[in-house]
Amino acid sequence: MMEKKQIKSSTLSVIKADVTATEIDAFVFYARNDLKLGSGFGNAIALRGGPSIRKELENLGPLKVTEVVVTTAGNMKAKHIIHACGPKFQEENLEQKLKTTIINVLKAAEANGIESIAFPPMGAGFYGVPIDVSAKITIETIAEYLNKGSEIKDVIICANDTREYKALEPKLKDALKKAA
Amino acid sequence: MNTEKNKRSYKAQKVIDRMGQKLTRQMVGSLTACVHCGMCTDSCHYVLANPGDPTFAPAYKADKIRKLFKQHYDWTGKVFPKWVKAGSVYTDEELQELKDIVFGKCTNCRRCTVNCPMGVDLATFNRMARGLLCHVGIMPEGVEYVAKEQWEIGNQMGVLKEDYIETVEWQEEELQSEMEDPTAKIPIDKPDSNIVYVINPREIKHDPRSILDAAKIFYAAGEDYTMPSEGWDMTNFGLFNGDDELGGAVAGRVYDKVEELRGKKLVISECGHGYRSTRCEGPNWAKKDITFDAESSVITMLEYIKQGKIKVDKTKNPGSYTFHDSCNNARSCGLTEEPRELLSLVVEDFREMYPNRAENYCCTGGGGAMSMAEYRPSRLKSAKIKADQLAATGTKTVVTSCHNCVDGLTDLIGHYKLGMDVTQLVNLVANALVIDDIVEENKKKYAEKEEVSSGSAQ
Ligand code: SF4
Ligand code: SF4
Repeated sequence: MMEKKQIKSSTLSVIKADVTATEIDAFVFYARNDLKLGSGFGNAIALRGGPSIRKELENLGPLKVTEVVVTTAGNMKAKHIIHACGPKFQEENLEQKLKTTIINVLKAAEANGIESIAFPPMGAGFYGVPIDVSAKITIETIAEYLNKGSEIKDVIICANDTREYKALEPKLKDALKKAA
Repeated sequence: MNTEKNKRSYKAQKVIDRMGQKLTRQMVGSLTACVHCGMCTDSCHYVLANPGDPTFAPAYKADKIRKLFKQHYDWTGKVFPKWVKAGSVYTDEELQELKDIVFGKCTNCRRCTVNCPMGVDLATFNRMARGLLCHVGIMPEGVEYVAKEQWEIGNQMGVLKEDYIETVEWQEEELQSEMEDPTAKIPIDKPDSNIVYVINPREIKHDPRSILDAAKIFYAAGEDYTMPSEGWDMTNFGLFNGDDELGGAVAGRVYDKVEELRGKKLVISECGHGYRSTRCEGPNWAKKDITFDAESSVITMLEYIKQGKIKVDKTKNPGSYTFHDSCNNARSCGLTEEPRELLSLVVEDFREMYPNRAENYCCTGGGGAMSMAEYRPSRLKSAKIKADQLAATGTKTVVTSCHNCVDGLTDLIGHYKLGMDVTQLVNLVANALVIDDIVEENKKKYAEKEEVSSGSAQ
């Protein structure tokens, strides 16, 4: 499953894949404010990446909501991880905070010379952002950003399953219509 | 301006608002039907283990949720609020107290339901209340941990894809060695198979022997089956934490994979909540009509014996055995007779425990309780009821058809020093298999082949 679109000099795609297993410059981890990796993708980072990532994180937190930090990715296929402290569990002004978090990720990527980046559908799943809301905000925010011209060449959004893919894919088409 | 709303914390208001979206007709029936007769009280293992403490009574616990319904969603609460004991939640502390009731004082076992003359199903709205709290991030740490594993990694125990594949391949090697057949396979992602076999991640992490045992049975039956590389976890934490979205996502991953592989039948290994979630609740959560058959591996194994596809010898399982009904299998899915029939075919000495079937007591690990470390002391106290039941059978081994119950029973057997073993039907069936002739034939066949190939190499 894959859908890919060109936006200015960048590409934006939706694929079905495990975001932590992608071969890419950086992937985004939806982080806790204390930067503890915890379970889920955090567990995948700890198991696949090794202990160095946790060590790096020790001196970087805590984060406020919308803040991001960049670490290396240890033994993983990616080179970097962007730990993004997005809003959680229906907190106030969730949509605006989610948008700001995504923009901060993209800015951090540019500041670190990252040219390809993989996102999960931001905040969806465990943290309770409905997949349709997450898909719309994640794709629209990235598309708007890339449409202004960016040094990031490729952005991919990794759906964890068909259900997420089906929510993301039409939003990619909608966002392109808007950007055109 | 609504002053009532202004007094309430942000999270408490979200919980109240969400309740309105989650109430179903069945829940409303249960929330309105209770006449406080108390007939359910002594059916709860928490009550029996805590005599004199009314806070464990099913109706008392139910009233903590019911009061919110009465206050916000039922006309009686608007007209006679005091009479119907309507009430609300205002602070995050009150939400925490509610959390300790809905997660810590009830395993959603539904024993009170089968003993209620009004058909009040507390477990259904207790699950809803869990979901309301999880929605605003209020849940036991273990629940948070496991739910996130299943959302993001795709299974409750955070087993990575590479580790799953490696474990299945390791069991395939074991199968080849036990069957003396270097070509024996545990296929992964084989399209158009008769059976797609899905398991509990506990089998990968702590009990790979169960995968091998199932593989031996499939091998002996000459079954055309496959395990999927994704969507292989048939457990579903959404049943426990009340998150219908998680329930739908997990069940949907299983269904999507079966459809992608064009499997004819989904066979669910032994797990009470996995069976209930994948076979019964999943299609509703995932909003999907499933186009293939789905059954418990208990039925599959029983049919193999009845149809003569496998032969078993019960003398291979000496000793005395009793059977523990998983609450989800027995009370929610009516799977009570087939496991007994199967057990009687593979052991010589099977003794019932009492009460049994739909009246059996919870292993105390139900409803995700094994993941909630903070409630372990109270859970083990309530397990005295199950421990007495087990001890009274005088057997050495308790058999169950649920991985979750295996853990719950093992924990309480250790705590109450019962000295019993816990096992599952798949292990007993595999052990009882009459396969010596197949193994001997394989030995000869592959020895001959080796001779031929070494001869032609000379
Ligand atoms: S739940 Fe049923 S049995 Fe229990 S008090 Fe209410 S009406 Fe009586
Ligand atoms: S569902 Fe089970 S644990 Fe919960 S109150 Fe009823 S009998 Fe007790």
